Amino acid sequence: MMTRFNQLPTLKIDPTKKVVFNYKGKTYSGVEGDTIASALYANGVRIYARSLKYHRPRGLYSLDGECSNTMMDVDGIPNVRTENTLLKQGMTVKEQNVKGSAENDMLGFLDKLDWAMPAGFYYKMMHKPARIWPIAMKQIRKTAGLGEISPDFEMPGKFDEIFPRTDVVVIGGGPAGMTSALAAAEKGLRVIIMESRPWLGGFFDYRTAEYKDGVALYQRGQDLAQQVEANENIRVLKHTAMVGAYSNCLVTGFQTGTDKDAFNERYVEIRANSVIVATGCIERPLLFDNNERPGVMQVACALRMARNYGILPGENGIFSVGHDLGLEAAIDLFDMGMKIGCVADVREDGQDPELVLALAKRNLLLLKGWVATVAHGKKQVNKVTMSSIDGMISRDFDCDVLVASAGLTPVTGPLTMAQIKLRHDDFTGFFVADEMPENTFSAGRILGINNAMSIECSGTLAGIKAAKVCGACEAADVEAVEAAMKALPGPLRGSKLVTAPVQGRKSFICFDEDTTIKSVKQTIDSGFDVPELVKRYSSAGLGPGQSGIPGHNLPLYVAKYQALAGVPVKPTTVRAPIVPTFIATYAGTNHTMHKRTPIHDLQVADKGILRKIGVWERVRYFSEDYSCRKEIENVRNNVGMLDGSTLGKFRLHGPDALKALQRVYVSDMSKLKPGRIKYTAMCNDDGCVIDDGVVIMLGENDYYITTSTGRAGQTVEWIRYHTRYDGWDFSMVNITDSMGVINLSGPNARKVFAKITEEDVSNEAFSYSAYKEMVIKDVIPAKVMRLGFVGELSYEFHVDSSYMTSLWQLLKEAGAEFGIQNFGVESQNVLRMEKCHVILGQESEQRTNLLDVGLGFLWNRKKAEAKTVGAVALRQAENDPTRFKLVGFKMENNGRAPRDGALIVDTKVRGYIATARDSATLNEAVGMALVEAELAKVGTRLEIYEDECGDERIYGKVVPMPFYDPDGTRMKG
Amino acid sequence: MALTITCPICGKRNGYEFRYGGEDKGPRPEEAGITPEIWCDYVHMNKCVAGVQKEWWFHKDGCGSWFSIHRDTTTNLEVKGPEADK
Repeated sequence: MMTRFNQLPTLKIDPTKKVVFNYKGKTYSGVEGDTIASALYANGVRIYARSLKYHRPRGLYSLDGECSNTMMDVDGIPNVRTENTLLKQGMTVKEQNVKGSAENDMLGFLDKLDWAMPAGFYYKMMHKPARIWPIAMKQIRKTAGLGEISPDFEMPGKFDEIFPRTDVVVIGGGPAGMTSALAAAEKGLRVIIMESRPWLGGFFDYRTAEYKDGVALYQRGQDLAQQVEANENIRVLKHTAMVGAYSNCLVTGFQTGTDKDAFNERYVEIRANSVIVATGCIERPLLFDNNERPGVMQVACALRMARNYGILPGENGIFSVGHDLGLEAAIDLFDMGMKIGCVADVREDGQDPELVLALAKRNLLLLKGWVATVAHGKKQVNKVTMSSIDGMISRDFDCDVLVASAGLTPVTGPLTMAQIKLRHDDFTGFFVADEMPENTFSAGRILGINNAMSIECSGTLAGIKAAKVCGACEAADVEAVEAAMKALPGPLRGSKLVTAPVQGRKSFICFDEDTTIKSVKQTIDSGFDVPELVKRYSSAGLGPGQSGIPGHNLPLYVAKYQALAGVPVKPTTVRAPIVPTFIATYAGTNHTMHKRTPIHDLQVADKGILRKIGVWERVRYFSEDYSCRKEIENVRNNVGMLDGSTLGKFRLHGPDALKALQRVYVSDMSKLKPGRIKYTAMCNDDGCVIDDGVVIMLGENDYYITTSTGRAGQTVEWIRYHTRYDGWDFSMVNITDSMGVINLSGPNARKVFAKITEEDVSNEAFSYSAYKEMVIKDVIPAKVMRLGFVGELSYEFHVDSSYMTSLWQLLKEAGAEFGIQNFGVESQNVLRMEKCHVILGQESEQRTNLLDVGLGFLWNRKKAEAKTVGAVALRQAENDPTRFKLVGFKMENNGRAPRDGALIVDTKVRGYIATARDSATLNEAVGMALVEAELAKVGTRLEIYEDECGDERIYGKVVPMPFYDPDGTRMKG
Repeated sequence: MALTITCPICGKRNGYEFRYGGEDKGPRPEEAGITPEIWCDYVHMNKCVAGVQKEWWFHKDGCGSWFSIHRDTTTNLEVKGPEADK
């Protein structure tokens, strides 16, 4: 275990709180605030994994998870980015992609076979002869990928989602992001800041250099963070990585929860009026031989290991940098106890004179115009060869850590995602935005500036510009900040070095995919001359790091190798998600949501077996006998109760209510009279029947309509859609959920009904298709109608949902002497099928029209002025002999009923079974089917094909409809 | 997606709150003289312009009103329609 600095003011860890975890079967400890990567490093781990193709040892490089170098299996979850994941008590951490261990990987020999695996070798090698390709593919698939997971793995944890609206969204919680947020908030706007690290502070956070007046940068960072967190107008989302940026100011991200949050990870979708991109810079990786050896790390990685985590990354450091930050880091790390052999700077001049002085004061060797060319050491770096950037002179230095960086490069991923075009700026060496969309502004280091005041001012400027587009300030406010900005230092000249002077066989441009400079050269030589093609052929940038490591080096190298004038090529497009994340986060919380009827609990208590039907849970059966024999018999011979509450119910009223009804219903709705129900249907513009139901006239211009359960959600939309040009005065209210329905059916139904009301319910007083309003027991207002869906004497009670329990209990008590029983949806299905009453969606599908199912009698042709939906198409279709017809059939030789949906065939498909059941009532198997008109004649033999029946067929015969009680005396009596 | 739609009753809302109701084709024509081809075109054929079109939307997760907007199909963003078209 290494000793750690305990007292630094920049620490993100609490050294007093130990966190114990398991690594490779042994117990280790870190401290609170450690990431898994930093805890492992503190315990001496240097080789974290082996690379994808060549199984090269890999370790810490960026400390921000920009590549797969330090991805490990944590608690059974593969590919966890250990640099970004906080250590938790009891975690089990394992290596990935190794045979043996990361230290000693038996597949390490593959590194020596790189000559056999040039860029795109699998396109050329493994398919001659063609029959070896399936074998090769299988083997390659086994070695591809890093982590492993079983298909049965169940993701633990809670995943949530939020959809906040805001005025301004700021991407990046560094100094520029924070000042922009404060500037916008000061003008009264709502601001959301997304910061991918678990704390605000960004670029200032770990630096002891002076901000001004004796205040260090890290102190200034903490001060700004406090101001931001205290500001009421600013919502801070920490540990939230931006994953998508879209036009119209839509930004998405994933947030990792703290221990206090109710989620492990949550998806954040922000819609704003303005976006500020303050994502800062990452370091451009330095390209030299073995540039990814464990022990080689970027400047910020080395410095933050010491400053944030209290761990000195090595004892003997060598630096090969391209920016003042590299010099600053060398000075700081030297002061913290690291011995430094030399500091090489690829820049011949342009260094900050104060930093040069500081290096000299410490007797540190500064080599201007020098660069690392080879890192030596089989598994970890132990020596570096440095040379002048022209390659003429070189020297070797021993070391145990090599801090290497070519300079800075802006984080442009969010910009390219939002479709912003980039161009190469020659002075800074950066790819910058060519033109920003109207409401999007950049701030901070992505503009190429490095001076602390300039960075903060650029943030304030972006914030005030955002405030202006949101209408919260004047042009003069913007101009004032612009003037202040002009007075501050501008962008720094950037380093232009693309690679060290090397052949590049072992210089890795992409760590995730093991793509070297040599592979890129081979790719370009093969004719793939732009970064998009190079990426796909050489696979540089296809890994989880996306644009982190190869991002900007790739276009720079492609331009340089082809000796193109300037850098006319751009970084490849970055795509969401910008950082790797769980599918579980995209899936969110999986609520099973269904609606329940007002008497759901009573039905379940009576042994109802529930099924999901559309958005509802309904009782399908009341016993384990799914043929529902007893329930059906009871309705036919006695009396039963059904919960029909899911029926669509609407009130439609207003001076033009009748016009609206005439438009959508096929019948002549002007014939409606109070006290009678009208059964009718709706069609679409193709004449296809989409819904049926009853319409009741409650009074003048006032109607009560019912629809099928499945269409209830669309009825208001439908009727308003088909009347949208007319400007009619009518209103609709969906009362589906506020009213419940009980259907009382069977020969004894009248006797039960009579017991709960004083009203005359004789057949004369309350006849078939009549409608009455009454108040049951002086308390329950009820709409009562006589219908015949199941083919027996039936009453349907529509009452307010709050009265359902009472009504149900009343009916149950009243029915007790008759042995009243519940019946469910399946029973209802069989009962109505025996009467050949259609259920739309069962006896019809998308293409079935009103005439096909035998409901043509509902259609009134004499109301052309109503422009009824479906009328035109029905007229055009009515003489079409090729259409299907609905027929009834029974099975031959007492055969069993075929399954719903079985096909009717001869040499081809001639129709299909809509519904079929073994009917106890009729003592034979019957059903309804849609068949070609030719087969619709009574007596026709139907050949039936069921799924997986092989060569077997079963046979039925077309019979007249309905099968049960053809005169309808039972339901009309 | 990034699409936001301005409902005449509720204001600018997230596009996912709405259901698309097709290109604006005007009120249904008079029945007299309609051939199957004319009717099928009216019901099913679309102009599919690459540019600004007038179209209908329904605020299903809101007030439930039908209204029309102009949208640029090449950017999938709502735009202001030509003044004459109000």
